[in-house]
Amino acid sequence: MSDKPTDVELAAATKATVDALEPLGGVLSTFKDMVSVTVPKEHVVEAVRLAKENGFEMVSDVFGIDYLTYPGHQGKRFTVVYNMRNPDGTGRLFIRVELDDGETLPTITHLFKAANFMEREVYDMFGVVFEGHPDLRKLLTPEDFEGHPHRKDFPLGETPTLFGEGRFLDPAAFRAGLIGADPGLTGWKGGAAKGITSEQDFGQGAGMEGKESGKP
Amino acid sequence: MGLRDLFEKDVQELENEGILFSGLEKLVAWGRSNSLWPATFGLACCAIEMMQSTNARNDMSRFGSEVFRASPRQADVMIVAGRLSKKMAPIMRRVYEQMPDPKWVISMGACASSGGMFNNYAIVQNVDSVVPVDIFVPGCPPRPEALVYAVMQLQKKVRGEAFDEHGVELPMVEGWSR
Amino acid sequence: MSVKDLGHAATVTREEQRGQFETRYMRINVGPQHPSTHGVLRLVVDLDGEEIVGIKPQIGYLHTGFEKTMENRTYQQCVTYSNRMDYLHGFSHDLAYVLSVEKLMDARVPERAERIRVALNELNRIASHLVFIGTGLLDMGALTPFFYTMRERETLLDIFELVCGVRMNFGYFRVGGLYRDVPDEFFPAVDQFLETFPKMIVQYERLFAKNDIFVNRLKNIGVLSRETALDWGLTGPSLRASGVPLDFRKAAPYSGYQDYDFDVPTYDAGDALSRMLIRIDEMRESMKIVRQAVDRMEPGPIRDPDRRISLPPRSELENSMEAVIFHFKLVTEGFHPPRGEVYVATESARGELGYYIVSDGGSMPYRVKIRVPSLINLQSLEPACLGGLFADMVVNIASLDPIMGDVDK
Repeated sequence: MSDKPTDVELAAATKATVDALEPLGGVLSTFKDMVSVTVPKEHVVEAVRLAKENGFEMVSDVFGIDYLTYPGHQGKRFTVVYNMRNPDGTGRLFIRVELDDGETLPTITHLFKAANFMEREVYDMFGVVFEGHPDLRKLLTPEDFEGHPHRKDFPLGETPTLFGEGRFLDPAAFRAGLIGADPGLTGWKGGAAKGITSEQDFGQGAGMEGKESGKP
Repeated sequence: MGLRDLFEKDVQELENEGILFSGLEKLVAWGRSNSLWPATFGLACCAIEMMQSTNARNDMSRFGSEVFRASPRQADVMIVAGRLSKKMAPIMRRVYEQMPDPKWVISMGACASSGGMFNNYAIVQNVDSVVPVDIFVPGCPPRPEALVYAVMQLQKKVRGEAFDEHGVELPMVEGWSR
Repeated sequence: MSVKDLGHAATVTREEQRGQFETRYMRINVGPQHPSTHGVLRLVVDLDGEEIVGIKPQIGYLHTGFEKTMENRTYQQCVTYSNRMDYLHGFSHDLAYVLSVEKLMDARVPERAERIRVALNELNRIASHLVFIGTGLLDMGALTPFFYTMRERETLLDIFELVCGVRMNFGYFRVGGLYRDVPDEFFPAVDQFLETFPKMIVQYERLFAKNDIFVNRLKNIGVLSRETALDWGLTGPSLRASGVPLDFRKAAPYSGYQDYDFDVPTYDAGDALSRMLIRIDEMRESMKIVRQAVDRMEPGPIRDPDRRISLPPRSELENSMEAVIFHFKLVTEGFHPPRGEVYVATESARGELGYYIVSDGGSMPYRVKIRVPSLINLQSLEPACLGGLFADMVVNIASLDPIMGDVDK
């Protein structure tokens, strides 16, 4: 996120909320007219309540981001983002909370009943437990499914494609050539698909630990 | 051969010659093929095209699929329309087993036939691994005309006029087997 | 076991119930395969006679893992995935995704491309509402309106096939513009549709809006007050039927919507009847937008000429080495947006739709979070159905218009 907090003209309601969140430890950042405030985990319920009092009466979304393989990311692994909206149309605010694996968050379902399914989805996909949630169980994946699919260390689960003559195509190897993890038979070091450009040294920071695939 | 002649010959004799029962089987197969009632198993986008194939422009009820029976116990064919997720697969097997014999399955669309564009942890890569499929329909989604063509091919298969890719005639479903 | 203990509706076993054998309330499973659910929706309903005392939607039977799959496809390839979610209003997802990536890349979409996008988006909204009416009335037992609305829908799908090549699940929008220009037959086809459709809307209104049977089945059923609707996160036409005039095309205009003159219908009753009538009004407004978009269309380019995003024209490939390099890079790797996170909220036929895209500088998105309207709207089924009759549950599901592809992603 960009670190120029004043490059966007904040609407009045947004400014009031950001000011109210500052004593809780809220750090403002903006990017192309998106306003985000990062608050510490302990104050998230208070932050959401303050946002609600200042006019952000709708929570559009609660979701998680796993920064495990984000190149150049320092800090905790997960971020849970609360997407708050003002029904009058005067603005949108993102409240971010950073967590590590295994940490829990308090629920906001007593403030917004809409967060019920949203928090369940974050739990299902990332494994973030929300304390106080009335019904925290898996939402989208089957009941006997183990694991949290949207984590970066969970594989996509591709099956190889088998053609009639007996040859088969392994999608993961095919895509590894595209993203530069494995140059394959041609040795083409293409692939800046995971945050590295062809000019840089690849094999670092893209979740491919220990892959020294050669310098360009 | 007239009906009177049939009655005058002995039934055993007729059976040995393969005339009486094969004729009746053909009659039953003709009746079955022209009144295939699908069970509604629309899952995703292909279900919308399946609905479109029942509308006034592409009228599938001309081919005998007059109603889409909600209860599988009253249906003949299950059109798997859409991507089958692994959570839904046991339920689909249960619905298939609730259908009385003889039953057929049309796998409609790329997602049902092979997983389609979704090669991941959540989608069954071929519906044939859950239920035995008779007709695969490619497309994403297949046009209603393609689905109607698939129903016509299934009708041919039911009547015993179908050939597989090597030109071998496929057997007709027997009329009296349990 | 009281009504309050309905939390683990799917996982309560007989053992847990032993000693508290519930004889008053009956738990029914409205299974995933059912003619009256809009796709594979499973509901666990607790009934006191005919009255619903508890209802819990169980979803996930169409979970496809779109978000994780999109993390493994280039930005341009993700356009093929986005419209498979809400397959009835596919252009809304395409538009939301493409707008997010364009915001990330600061791409300038030419005006003609924007107008075509808006026209197709609104035509698709009409198509989606037609299915809503057809299947909604089908759920209530009326067979004829289904055929009438599908007839109009076939005309619209013919227009889409003319422009995009496919009837459904289009791959027409691109980051930076469109795949190709609309053919000349598009304009007379749209003119003819806009000429005949108003009479058809009147036909639908006569079929159900003035019909006593339907009005009695829909009036004062599933009432959602303004506070309940906002609390449960409802958006879209269902929210506007409860009295909140929130439409993202007006509140946060995108893609040139601020230039068009249209109203946002709002009803106050919040019952199923208003939710059905509001979509008829929305179809009229969409027609107005299509008319204006098509009338104001000027000839011009349809893709952002920026070489980082769009392929160079083939004539340049013979002369310029840079064009060849750009072409090679775009085809093999795809383009690279700068690092950052963006979100653009759009209005789909079902509510607020937005793609939150996290980019790490690579040619595949790092994380795509899709704020789908139907998943959040489905939660409102609980306050709408509680206290009502079991037969009204079908009406409530139909009037909230969930699409399971959208719900389960």
